[in-house]
Amino acid sequence: MSERVLLATFEHEDDLLAAVAAIRRKGLQIADAYTPYAVHGLDRAMGLRPSRLPWVCFICGMAGALGMLWFEYWTAAIAWPIDVGGKPWNSLPSDVPVAFEAAVLLAGFGSVFALLGVSRLFPGKRPRIVGPRVTDDQFVLVINETDAAFDADEVTRLLQGFDVVSTEERLTDRKGRL
Amino acid sequence: MMTRSYPPTAQTRVLKWLAIAGAIAIAIGCIRAPDRIWGNALVGTFYLLTLALGGAVFVALTYVTGAGWHVAFRRVPEAMARIIPIAGAALLIALIVKMTSYGWHAHGHGDPGTFWFKQLWLDPPFWLIRAIAYIVLWSLMASRLCARSRQQDRTGEAALSAGSTRLSAMFLGVFAVTFSLASVDWMMALEPMWFSTMWGVYNFAGMIQAALAAVVVLGLLLRSHGGPLHGVFNDEHLHDLGKLQLGFSCFWMYIWYSQYMLIWYSNIPEETFYFVARTHGAWGPVVVLSIVLNWVIPFFVLLPKSAKRSGRVMMRVAVVVLIGRWVDLYVMVFPAIKSGENRLFANPVFGLWEAAAICYLVGTAGLLLLRSFAAAGPIPRNDPYLPESQHYHAG
Repeated sequence: MSERVLLATFEHEDDLLAAVAAIRRKGLQIADAYTPYAVHGLDRAMGLRPSRLPWVCFICGMAGALGMLWFEYWTAAIAWPIDVGGKPWNSLPSDVPVAFEAAVLLAGFGSVFALLGVSRLFPGKRPRIVGPRVTDDQFVLVINETDAAFDADEVTRLLQGFDVVSTEERLTDRKGRL
Repeated sequence: MMTRSYPPTAQTRVLKWLAIAGAIAIAIGCIRAPDRIWGNALVGTFYLLTLALGGAVFVALTYVTGAGWHVAFRRVPEAMARIIPIAGAALLIALIVKMTSYGWHAHGHGDPGTFWFKQLWLDPPFWLIRAIAYIVLWSLMASRLCARSRQQDRTGEAALSAGSTRLSAMFLGVFAVTFSLASVDWMMALEPMWFSTMWGVYNFAGMIQAALAAVVVLGLLLRSHGGPLHGVFNDEHLHDLGKLQLGFSCFWMYIWYSQYMLIWYSNIPEETFYFVARTHGAWGPVVVLSIVLNWVIPFFVLLPKSAKRSGRVMMRVAVVVLIGRWVDLYVMVFPAIKSGENRLFANPVFGLWEAAAICYLVGTAGLLLLRSFAAAGPIPRNDPYLPESQHYHAG
């Protein structure tokens, strides 16, 4: 279903942060914010949930370490025991470096691919940019007009208190994309 | 901003009683169990000295890297750095009163056939002069560094920071060489026939990890109950200290393992006997305990962001790390103490004497650090980086 949204453009991050706080105080829904760089404190101001990516990283890392420890134990002590300098077949100290490397490798790849997957980034993807200057010097706040009582003029007046440069109403496509 | 009645009398009273009770028990122990008291004295004084030195290294590192985030609570590591002279004097006393505990000292300069350089290096007067030289050097440079920061409080001269950066760079160079040598002289030389090229960095890893934990504990104590750092030492600072704590616990584990693995792997008797004495029998679980306290707990607990920003969690982890540091030094020192050819502590001992030494260490360290902190303004108010430190986000 397509939705109506209001795009508000700002020139300064402080204006954006203040506007986000004001919009949320009014009980309106913020769909997203587009900025040329990571704005400190924006995630907190928008009330975003903490990222779940660290969990993916941790689970992949543990899977790498434990899986590799098991694999080394299985190869060196069960499937094909090899005597190295008279040491026991099952020698934990010799297993640590490879287990560590496997943990780092899986944690790294796991987080990167999970991030790409969640953000739907893939080779050949056509970027949809909300406005060309969000990659340069402008900040765009996208506000949902889901509420029937949404009054675009009133919100625009509110935003003018934060030096909004321009506001614009748009329809998203059927998947809710701009 | 400042509360005059800091530290709370209840806290100092507890610390005083700990110190007094510990001192009395230690005095009795000097007669009843002198070897154990000496081992504890070496562990305790080295613990305190490296903690203080860690504070100086923290301050120097932040100067040379141009860091600004830590300035608001820099008086905490500075307070640690300022007790180097007294901690060093305590260590020197421990070294002098029972120099014979070092094997090479008891039988002349080691066994016949010892490498000539080792004989020269471990010559007792030279060894002692070196110890004095290290401590004097560290004391002078660290107190100069702290004095410049206090001078800036009065004069507000921003150029003092640039000079401190140069002094810090010099100190770090001196520290890298002398601390390596000192850890070899005082700790590795307990077993003069053993050697490890990882020793210096291994001691550095333990030192910096414990120093960070001490900064966390002191910072949190000083901000609680309306203390002088209340509203100054915030969760952003804690978060970054937590990241460093997490990183350095991994560094300690990495260095510990690197030293162990190479010796285990090459399996040469002249190297392995150090670990044989420490991993076989009842000492084995103590080594495992040291790994759990120094790496397993800090690593897994501090992984989430919320843990690093929580004063409660950070305090507990820091205390665990400080205990772990003691266990680490205990495993270094006690198995090495010998009477003739026999290891006096073939099995770990923990009883009244160790408890007394720990009480004394906690009591005196607490009192010294609180007094040292109170000797200057609680924040470096004219440091050019102070606003940055008060307003930044750790992310």
